[in-house]
Amino acid sequence: MTLTSKPLAAILFIVMFGGISVSSALGWWQTESAKVPAAFTEGEFAGQANPADIRGSYTFGDIANSFDVAPDVLARAFQITSDDPASFAVKDLESLYLDSGYEIGTNSIRLFVAFYAGLPFDTTGQEIYLLKPAADILLADATLTPEQTAYLQAHTVEVAPADVEAAPAPSEESAPETESAPPAPDPTTSSTEEYLVKGKTTFGELLQWGVPQDVIEQMIEAPMPDLAMTVKDHATATGLDFETLKTQLQAEVDKIKK
Amino acid sequence: MVKVFGKRVRLFRPRTIWIRKLVQWFFFLLIALIAVNHTLAESGSAIPVLSSASLHAVCPFGGVVTLYTLASSGVLVQKIHSSALVLAGLSLLLAIFFGPVFCGWICPLGTVQEWVGKLGRKLFKRRYNHFVPTKLDNILRYARYGILIWVLYVTAISGTLIFEAYDPYFALFNFWSGEVAPTALLILGTTLVLSVFVERPWCKYACPYGAVLGLTNLFRVFSIKRAASTCKADGACSIMCPMNIAVDNKTVVRDHQCISCLECTSEAICPVAKTVVFTSGGLK
Ligand code: SF4
Repeated sequence: MTLTSKPLAAILFIVMFGGISVSSALGWWQTESAKVPAAFTEGEFAGQANPADIRGSYTFGDIANSFDVAPDVLARAFQITSDDPASFAVKDLESLYLDSGYEIGTNSIRLFVAFYAGLPFDTTGQEIYLLKPAADILLADATLTPEQTAYLQAHTVEVAPADVEAAPAPSEESAPETESAPPAPDPTTSSTEEYLVKGKTTFGELLQWGVPQDVIEQMIEAPMPDLAMTVKDHATATGLDFETLKTQLQAEVDKIKK
Repeated sequence: MVKVFGKRVRLFRPRTIWIRKLVQWFFFLLIALIAVNHTLAESGSAIPVLSSASLHAVCPFGGVVTLYTLASSGVLVQKIHSSALVLAGLSLLLAIFFGPVFCGWICPLGTVQEWVGKLGRKLFKRRYNHFVPTKLDNILRYARYGILIWVLYVTAISGTLIFEAYDPYFALFNFWSGEVAPTALLILGTTLVLSVFVERPWCKYACPYGAVLGLTNLFRVFSIKRAASTCKADGACSIMCPMNIAVDNKTVVRDHQCISCLECTSEAICPVAKTVVFTSGGLK
């Protein structure tokens, strides 16, 4: 059988678009993730959604579909003023707090959801910050272990999102502190801010702070990119999880600066 | 066709497969619109009806790189969706029958290289697409298999789309988004500049997906065949071939680089009817 260009073009269209139509009908044609976090595979919580797998592309509504946390609770916790909190995307949180000196982003949401829903979440070696309204909600509504309470108190910050006026200073009552818990970090302390890995931190800055190039390359699993490139941009471009990368880099910076 | 002394004579015969150009335009515009719509969707102003899928969702190579994680842990690589698997399956099906038609007819990056190549053809005439010394060219043609193995390996061990940072196709349709790594932009720029001298340099030397589909040339059902009995041996088919395949000294083209563009056939450049054809059967 001999084919010329026109029948070939027709076959090509029929196969491609026919195939897409059939796969759509069968439910195989998905151009977006289902936005359902992976479940715990073992232990007491096996089968339940794992907060550590919440992604930046999820909305508060997506989170509410997988965890027992209503969108308006998340909105209150993270000071989001929106008529439709369910459609707020987790990845937009970070830009709201970009100038705060603290990384309030996807990891903060993961931590909040885990504590609120009483699910396991490994904070070992991680400095994840929560806002004071989030801490208040957790202290009032969640069942926390003493370790979780101590972690929470040590990682509560009082900062306002970019378009909201600064919250009033904490009162003794509203910011409970125990003797054993380290004090909540002060956003204005320059020594902590100076060496904080944030979305805007560039690879050049990391080198300046003394993080060895080979350590950075090992973490990003690639040769050193342009020094003016931000860690966040690189993570986005290469598909690495920024929150994880940031935590690893911060641990390296802390090691050097201690 | 006109009638001259009662005989039907063709006064004008296109020297190229014009319908392929139309199909290329169609898919280029489709993917470009989807990519722009994806950006618009992020600000909540997407064009209705048109898909706003991410580029990874409409690229069949994503379906190839995710095969390992799918088989080993049942999940897709980050940013890859099941639509990429569907497209990979359909492109492979087409390739088994007709060769890498995805490369020659659909892939917008191949199309853009061809467009830039027109400038090279104007500038360098017959020297165009013949700058790389044959020995070096023969070796470089296998580089894409090395790149394919590297991409599959790093994707399998990291579970992330490492290739995105080097992918000129992603750069071409996302350069405005701020999500493209400088390396990908550099590779895209280099590809476009080289396209002025060499036809489809990315496809020939570097494309890992072309490497996958190219393998089907070895066993595809429909192939380019040349009838030695009617061939005038003018070499037009070989000169026209964008992939520099010496069609004029073969009876069946089984070259791993053929992209099924049909430009060498009697429907296009070959002046003798039914001499270079695209067929599943034999030729006299
Ligand atoms: S051999 Fe013919 S069909 Fe194959 S790439 Fe060359 S010109 Fe196109």
